[in-house]
Amino acid sequence: MLIEAENLNHTYALGTPLAQVALRDVNLQIGPGERVGILGASGSGKTTLVQHLAGLLQPTEGRVLLDGIVAHRRTPAALAQRRRIGIAFQNPEDQIFEQTVFREVAFGPRNLGLSQAEVATRVAWALELVGLNPTLMGGRIPFALSGGEMRRVALAGILAMRPHVLILDEPTAGLDPRGRQELLRRVKRWHQEMGLTLIVVSHNLDELARLVERVVLLKAGRVVADGPARRVLSDAALLRSAGLDVPHSVALLHALRAAGWPVRTDQLLPEEAAAEILRVRRAMEEIR
Amino acid sequence: MAPFIQTKGLTYAYPLESSGQIVALQGVDVTIERGEYVALIGANGSGKSTLVRHFNALLLPTAGQVWVDGLSTSQPELRWKVRQRVGMVFQNPDNQLVANTVEEDIAFGPENRGLPPAQIRARVDEALQLVGLVDYRTHPPQMLSGGQKQHVAIAGVLATRPSCIIFDEPTSMLDPPSRQAMLDTIRRLNVEEGITVILITQSMDEAALAHRVLVMHHGRIVMDGSPSAIFAHHERLQALGLELPFPIQMARHLKRGGMSLPSTCLTLEALVNALC
Repeated sequence: MLIEAENLNHTYALGTPLAQVALRDVNLQIGPGERVGILGASGSGKTTLVQHLAGLLQPTEGRVLLDGIVAHRRTPAALAQRRRIGIAFQNPEDQIFEQTVFREVAFGPRNLGLSQAEVATRVAWALELVGLNPTLMGGRIPFALSGGEMRRVALAGILAMRPHVLILDEPTAGLDPRGRQELLRRVKRWHQEMGLTLIVVSHNLDELARLVERVVLLKAGRVVADGPARRVLSDAALLRSAGLDVPHSVALLHALRAAGWPVRTDQLLPEEAAAEILRVRRAMEEIR
Repeated sequence: MAPFIQTKGLTYAYPLESSGQIVALQGVDVTIERGEYVALIGANGSGKSTLVRHFNALLLPTAGQVWVDGLSTSQPELRWKVRQRVGMVFQNPDNQLVANTVEEDIAFGPENRGLPPAQIRARVDEALQLVGLVDYRTHPPQMLSGGQKQHVAIAGVLATRPSCIIFDEPTSMLDPPSRQAMLDTIRRLNVEEGITVILITQSMDEAALAHRVLVMHHGRIVMDGSPSAIFAHHERLQALGLELPFPIQMARHLKRGGMSLPSTCLTLEALVNALC
């Protein structure tokens, strides 16, 4: 699916003294199969933007097109497009309401009017995707599961709709280190195997560096950078001006550079940064 | 003097709706001294939050005992005294704010304790100073950023003059600059105000800032030591579902590549100094 934001503006509580501009003149195109990170400080408009990309909000000005169809309209064509987009809000487990894991994951597919057999197939498939055994877990009460398991159930409910685009808003917040690593691995696999477009909102730069290839940086509702993750996430001055930190690896490389080491600063992952430090160290020793 | 917090054989079981129970704490013995800065880490469901909720008598032991400042939480008449000594700041600031302005919110605790108005005023002013929110005193807390709301929540706790503040994943919903501001405030309260700090966190880099790290697993404390001692046990931590702080991860990568480094660099600055 091709997602296009054209001159998108959003103001909350427009026309009241509490009016707050959340998005200003956002222009953006996201093609099929891309992995895009949406980055910005708190209040920069990230969540508002992804809600627009999913067609959930009506723009104050401008529009969002999903394969050429205006996203937020109440037309069957727009609804069909919106159904191809799965969006997981922050802490999606807060929205679980069914009595069993099976019923929770089946809720969406049932609303599509699928046959019982087809619903059951989809639920089993989606639970497998999030690493939960359908036979063992299907009958469990969601609220008796651990936080990490509940999050996976919530994500299974979204995947069961077979989305073409998956939007994740802070997907790993509140998970422990192992839960975070496992979820990141799974999300990558879904992208590869299902050919999903992936849009991830996060302020964890180390995670974004592992997950996405392109980063859109927001500041006070405006897009201030849009480019390869390696370029945006290694631009310390840009990130700091947007009220953000830099990835740990980049911070280390910049500090070494300031101390006179001729290191490249665009190595985002710890293993990449380590390789770069070792390379430069060897070169420095040879010169000596 | 007795330790500030002490537990003996602390066991806690959550009753299940259907039948049976989940044992969340299994005989925890731990001692925390006045003025310590302790990080509590462990996988989701390891019992961290359940443990600290015993430190201000929000939960009471199924078996075993908890003393705070020498007061046993098992005695109902002492529970309010315990809660006066130990305050809590939670993950989601929106769930902790109650009033229409920042200063009313901060005054909530002292008012509930029936203090005279002049004293409430003084405590609110002091708390606003300590968290740097004096300019926001008349703002509605709902209009503040997540990090500012968390600071209002801290001020609300400070106004009750606790000896100890427990922070339960206070930074997990904050962006990096607010997170840093939060950690700076926590450190300042510990160093300058002598407040005992217990910080629950999923960030190993945050845990590395404490004086002491406790690691929980399946309802037990399985490791207890300084950050450099705890984070020297890479395999053990990995088996517990945890990871290493970034500087230690990096030092390991570099060592594997043949570079010698002290393994105790807990901060980026320490690592840069060791390299240069």
